[in-house]
Amino acid sequence: MEKLKYDKPSISKINAGMPSKFGLPVKQKVISEIDGIKVSSLIEEYGSPLFVISEKTIREVFADAKRAFENRYPKVQFAWSYKTNYLDAVCSIFHDEGSWAEVVSGFEFEKALSNGVNGSQILFNGPDKSKDDLIMAIKNNACIHIDHFDELYLLIETSRELQMKARVAIRVNLDAGVYPIWDRFGFNYENGDAWNAINRIMLAESLELIGLHTHIGTYIMAQTAYAIAASKLANLYMAIHRKFDYWLKYIDLGGGFASKNTLKGAYMPGNETCPSFDDYAEAISNALISSEIPHENLPVLFLETGRALIDDAGYLLTTVIANKRLNDGRRSMVIDAGVNLLFTSFWYNLGVYPTRELGHAEESTIYGPLCMNIDVVRDAIVFPQVKTGEQLVVERVGAYNITQSMQFITYRPNVVLIDNDGKTQIIRKKESLETFKNSEINPKRN
Amino acid sequence: MLIEVSLIHNNRNIMKITEEVRISDNGFVFNSRTGDSFNVNPTGLELTKLIAQGHDFDTIKSLFLEKYELDDLTFEKDFYEFVALIKHHQITSQEDPLDFK
Repeated sequence: MEKLKYDKPSISKINAGMPSKFGLPVKQKVISEIDGIKVSSLIEEYGSPLFVISEKTIREVFADAKRAFENRYPKVQFAWSYKTNYLDAVCSIFHDEGSWAEVVSGFEFEKALSNGVNGSQILFNGPDKSKDDLIMAIKNNACIHIDHFDELYLLIETSRELQMKARVAIRVNLDAGVYPIWDRFGFNYENGDAWNAINRIMLAESLELIGLHTHIGTYIMAQTAYAIAASKLANLYMAIHRKFDYWLKYIDLGGGFASKNTLKGAYMPGNETCPSFDDYAEAISNALISSEIPHENLPVLFLETGRALIDDAGYLLTTVIANKRLNDGRRSMVIDAGVNLLFTSFWYNLGVYPTRELGHAEESTIYGPLCMNIDVVRDAIVFPQVKTGEQLVVERVGAYNITQSMQFITYRPNVVLIDNDGKTQIIRKKESLETFKNSEINPKRN
Repeated sequence: MLIEVSLIHNNRNIMKITEEVRISDNGFVFNSRTGDSFNVNPTGLELTKLIAQGHDFDTIKSLFLEKYELDDLTFEKDFYEFVALIKHHQITSQEDPLDFK
C-alpha cells in the first residue's frame, strides 16, 4: 500500500473575537527566488547565512526616486549615504546612476575617493572631523557640512594654514514637527545659532559658504515635516541673499525617508503606511517653489536618501537550526543568522519568509544562533512549521545591516551581488580565522 | 515531560484525555473546564484519538510509520512536541502521576 504524505501534528488555540487586523486570513508569502535565482542554489554555492544584494532592485528604486523629484523640481542631485551601505559594489552602482557621495568620517571619505568619486562631489557630514580629515576635504575641494562652532573655528584655522579656500555648508537643526528634535547635530534655526554661524562664515575669508543642510531624523513617516524643513531653509537662503547679496548653490534636505519595513509597535505594515517618493517629492518641491526664492535663483536640491533606496535590494538567506517549545508552550525556532547580522531587527519587525509553501502556521519566536538572550530576530510572528535545514529569507535588509553588522561569536557571511544580467558574484568574502589573525598581535612571553 | 516520556517508553501510557474535553471528527476540540477551543490538523486529530483510546507510544508509532511517509526519529520528535502541547492546553492529564497507592 502506498504511504500517505505526512503532516506534522499540530494544534492551535481558537481566539474568538480576535480575527486578523485586516479581517482576512493571513496568506503566507513565499520567497523562493531572487531575481530569478533559486534561494537553494544561492545557499548551495555561497553558504548560509548569506547576504544577497539585487542590482536590478537598486536601479529600479533609484529610478523611481529620481523620477519623483526631477518631475517636480528643476535641479536635483542625489548623494549616496555611505553609512547606509558602503560596500564598494553597492556605492559604485549608485555613482553609476549619477549619485554623489555623502560621507560622515575620514574612512568613508577615503572610500568614496577610492571608488573614483571626484572630491568636489563629496558631501562631508558628521560631528567627528579631525584636522587631518578637514585637510583631506579641503585639498579635495569637498563640500564640508559644519556641525558645530569648534569645527567652524578649526576649519578657519586649517584653511588659513593651507592658504586654501574651503567650500562649506552648515548643518541646521530645526523644529519640523518631528519629536524629539535631532538638536545634537548642527546649529539651531529657531534660537539664532544657525544665523550666527552663517554670519561668522561670511566674514571668514578662507571659507566659501555654498549651501545649507538639514537632516530632520530617520524613518520620517510625515512628508509634511520635510515641507516645514524646506521652508525654514528657504527663509535662511533668502536672508543670506538680502544681507550679503549672495546666492547659495544648494539646499540639502538630508535623508530619513522611511523604507517599507514595519517598525515595532506599528499597527499597519510599513509598505502600506510609508509615504512614497512622490509624496516626499511633492512636499519638498512645493515648499521650495512656493517660497520667496525667485524661480531663476532656486538652489540645487540635494538629497542624501539611504534607507529608502537600498533596503528593498538586500536579502538575508538563512537556515533553520532547531525548533523548540518554550516552557509556556509557545513555539520558537533557532536560525543561523542573529542580531549580529540584523541590527535593524531591534526596531523593525523584519519580514521572514519560507522558500516554499508550508503547512500549519502558529505564533512563533525566531531566535538567532548567538549564545545571548538578546538574540531575537522576530517575536510573535505567525510562521509555518519548518524542519531543521529549511531555508528562509529575511527581506528588506539592505540598509544598515551590513555596515552595522558585528563580528561576534561567529564569522560574518559572504555578501553576493546579483547583477543586472542575473549573474552572481561575491562582493564581500566570508570572514575566516585568517581575517582576525591578520590584524591581531599576540605579544610573545618568555 | 521526561517522566512522561520514560513512562510511555515503558509501555505504560499514563496520559488520558481530560474528562471535560470533547473532540469532534472534523478536528474541533473543546475543553469545557477551561472554556478554550482548538483546531487540530488531521494527523493531530489521529494522534489525539489514539491517545484517547489508550494506545501507548510504541503502538501509535507503528501505526504512523505504517501509514505515512515518515521516519521513526521525526515521528518521535513530533509526537513528544504534540503531547507536550496538548498537556499544556490541559487536554490531557496524568492518571496517577506518582503511581502512589
